[in-house]
Amino acid sequence: MTSWTQPLLARVPEARRRQIGLTLLVAAALLFPILHDNDADIDSMANAAAYATLALGLNIVVGFAGLLDLGYAAFFAIGAYTYGLLTSFQLEPPWSPFWEPFRQVGLVSQIAGESGGMAVHFTVSFWIALPLAAAFAAFWGIVFGAPTLRLRGDYLAIVTLGFGEIVPIVVRNWSDLTGGAAGLNGVAAPKLFGWSFGVDATPYYYVAMAMVALLVFVSLRLRDSRIGRAWMAIREDEIAAAAMGIDRTRFKLMAFAIGAAFGGMTGVFYVAKLQTATPEMFGFPVSVMILVMIVFGGIGSVWGVVLGAFILQLLQSWWLQDLTFWINAGGRLLHSDWLAHVDLVPSIELIFGLILVGMMLFRREGLIPATRPQSALSFDQQHAEVRRGGIQELEFQGLGGEHRSGETAMAIRGVTVRFGGLVALNEVSLDVPVGSVIAVIGPNGSGKSTLFNVITGLVPAAKGSILFHGDELLRLSPHEILEKGVARTFQNLRLFGNLTVLENVLIGQHARLRTGIAAAILRPRSTRDEETEARRWVMQIFGIFGNRLTPRVGQMVTGLSYANRRRTEIARALASRPRILLLDEPTAGMNPAETLELAEQVKSLNQLGLTVLLIEHKLDVVTTLADRVYVLDHGEIIAQGTPAEVRQDEEVLRAYLGRNAQAAAAGVAATGVSANA
Amino acid sequence: MTTFDLLLQQTINGLSLGAMYSLLALGFTLVYGILELINFAHFNVFMVGSFIAMGTLQLFGLHGQEVILTGMPLALVLIAAFTVTMVASGALGVAIEVLSLRPLRNVKGPAAMITTIGVSYILFNVVLLNQGADAKNFPNPMPAKRFHIEGATLDLRVILIWIVALVLMVGLYLFVQRSKMGKAMRATAQDPEAARMMGVEVDKVIITAFFLGSALAGAGGMIFGLYYNFTSFIIGFTAGLRAFTAAVLGGIGNVPGAMVGGVLIGLIEAMAGQFIATAWADVIIFSILVLVLVFKPAGLFGRLAPQKS
Repeated sequence: MTSWTQPLLARVPEARRRQIGLTLLVAAALLFPILHDNDADIDSMANAAAYATLALGLNIVVGFAGLLDLGYAAFFAIGAYTYGLLTSFQLEPPWSPFWEPFRQVGLVSQIAGESGGMAVHFTVSFWIALPLAAAFAAFWGIVFGAPTLRLRGDYLAIVTLGFGEIVPIVVRNWSDLTGGAAGLNGVAAPKLFGWSFGVDATPYYYVAMAMVALLVFVSLRLRDSRIGRAWMAIREDEIAAAAMGIDRTRFKLMAFAIGAAFGGMTGVFYVAKLQTATPEMFGFPVSVMILVMIVFGGIGSVWGVVLGAFILQLLQSWWLQDLTFWINAGGRLLHSDWLAHVDLVPSIELIFGLILVGMMLFRREGLIPATRPQSALSFDQQHAEVRRGGIQELEFQGLGGEHRSGETAMAIRGVTVRFGGLVALNEVSLDVPVGSVIAVIGPNGSGKSTLFNVITGLVPAAKGSILFHGDELLRLSPHEILEKGVARTFQNLRLFGNLTVLENVLIGQHARLRTGIAAAILRPRSTRDEETEARRWVMQIFGIFGNRLTPRVGQMVTGLSYANRRRTEIARALASRPRILLLDEPTAGMNPAETLELAEQVKSLNQLGLTVLLIEHKLDVVTTLADRVYVLDHGEIIAQGTPAEVRQDEEVLRAYLGRNAQAAAAGVAATGVSANA
Repeated sequence: MTTFDLLLQQTINGLSLGAMYSLLALGFTLVYGILELINFAHFNVFMVGSFIAMGTLQLFGLHGQEVILTGMPLALVLIAAFTVTMVASGALGVAIEVLSLRPLRNVKGPAAMITTIGVSYILFNVVLLNQGADAKNFPNPMPAKRFHIEGATLDLRVILIWIVALVLMVGLYLFVQRSKMGKAMRATAQDPEAARMMGVEVDKVIITAFFLGSALAGAGGMIFGLYYNFTSFIIGFTAGLRAFTAAVLGGIGNVPGAMVGGVLIGLIEAMAGQFIATAWADVIIFSILVLVLVFKPAGLFGRLAPQKS
């Protein structure tokens, strides 16, 4: 209830509050140089803004995609030297008619060379160099990234650290090109309509602020798109991301390239502003400083990293000096010689180190956390009566509709999987007819999950063949297999932990959506429609589970009950509009009532025309659902048939209960007690 | 000098560098084997170790290279200095573990690694602010005795460095293979959860790994000073990266692998410096790192500990 006692601010709707905040921020940024006419301070702000753009770029790589890059300054250097070489007198190839067309458009000019003849002087405009350097840095991002992105996260950190070291070494040693340790000199200042920026800080300030605004916009748009969701899926769980249709290599490279492009652009700006470049400007300390900024502001939080960059840069250029001044004054007052002469400015890197450790130990989410805490469901919401949703509509939306025709959906033939000397699956053959429910049972360690893993491309097969509607699945990568219409759940739940239920299930649709980078940033009508449609589809799927998930769409999955996490995983798999659904122990950890509920839901899905391959321990579930049961033991199929036939099979009883327990077994199996729970 | 002499000379130099990298690589491998954590703090524990060694030698009244000791006094001074350095560095490693890493033990993601970067940065800057940016003249009491083999020279102190490194490495190997704690360490590297259930005190194992690794890094730091006659706040970074490469080359988590990897990296550095250009040595070493990680991530000798996922 709104009452006058509530703070004024809280009564303004959230969206409006943001709008007001943003307007004030933009106004303050625009007015700052006018109100505060101090060139040094404006210069500090421009530098801080440049670091904010670097932090935004690194945030895409580290915060969104979860790839710890410790050599980010390399891209900053690549951008910087690109512009530096294209505007300074460092490169002067001899003049030839080849250059004439470039002279016509103003990219080069003709000057007198050192050896008497005419030479080429590059005069590429700052505004052309910005996108050019961004593209060039992105190219190097892909070159650095391609061989290393398959590595585990911590190895990636050390390799990027190595690359971050190599780039300044190359710059230093390749002095013919770069001027070596002495640096590039005489880099031209940017011009706008013939007016040179010169050394006055104000125009640089506005350019830097415009870059921050642009990159914040791009970051936010990417984050809230299909691409951002794919990155976060990779960050949270690479294997699940692949199984949900995300091409990991492609999206990691994309993150690397976009992050590098941000760094390259900033390099152009930075060099244009300083009008010189030396290898020392791009070493490891710079990479660490940018990392500190995003850790401080909040890894993955767009506004957080901007704030972090500004605070730390201004701490370095403004506040530390002020603080030193006050401490020295206090020291003189207290007659403390040490305090009177201490200088905090050189200890900035020590402060960075302390911030890094302090944030990790005490506030890992940073100043502005990327994910806001969720309000718990109210008592009423939690205990609302369970309702069944109508799922008939799903068929018209492209789920199921494949009714029993007698054809084979999936034909597995002679599949063998070896882990070193261990044969996990031995010559397994299995048929899944269209529209059926096939169950695979067997003791723990019999190879059931390995079977799912080989179908979905997560482990390679030594030999055999898996045909799905006539297409060979073996040797396809997991995301290609999902695209063919094979979706799965995992026995040990692989949800994307720090994302909401809605986001998790939206990621399931990844392969069915088309938004690319440009569309994600520009968000044309087609993309907006696609997103609306994607959300509508997700809500339809939640309807399958009645009101179990619907009230919880905005909750983090880590806060869900075990049963709801299982349901979310099934919903995520269904969101990809599969032609076959692979369920790996879907009822594990559910109580009998929940088990029954889920079994009914799977049955309804099957009646809708969805083919299901099921791993299950609870024999009553198998009996209710399955048309046919395959029994795996020690990697081999030891029996198959209808549930009733399999229950009577002596081989099966022995595998489950041991040699001497066959007599008792019939009784146990008949009561429907899970053999392995 | 003939090419053969150059090869011989660079082999001697490479073995000395390699001894240092091996000691440093062991620390990475011990910690990684158990925690799957790249400990960036290790870079600068090495650097701090060389300063501790310098301070200790100065306490014995040794400054620069003027005072030369021989016989028993030399042996005693060296043993004392190595002991003090190793214990102090080991204690530093334990402090880092207990204060900054233990609270993050069950936190997923890169938090622990980022913390070690922060700790490394703190050590680096504390030494920089405290000791200044100038390179320090490292005391060296060893006689400048030289042996000539063909056209190459072999310093007495190089032989001493080899002996010290060899003793330490054999000692560590025996500790890991023979002692009860060593067995607990190997068990924890395989599966911390199972080890805990079998009564292994995992925290104690981790502390031991940090102590041993950091003590060896301290010894490496002292060897650096004795070999180059200087130390500086800046030495940790490149030496650390090279040693890490050595650990990866030998198969991270693999104790003998780290030793061999260190020697190989030392030889590569010496040869690359001689026959290509010193300025490109790091580029070559990092390229090796990338190639090994991409094509043979388990290293030359494979990892002993299985990868946890």
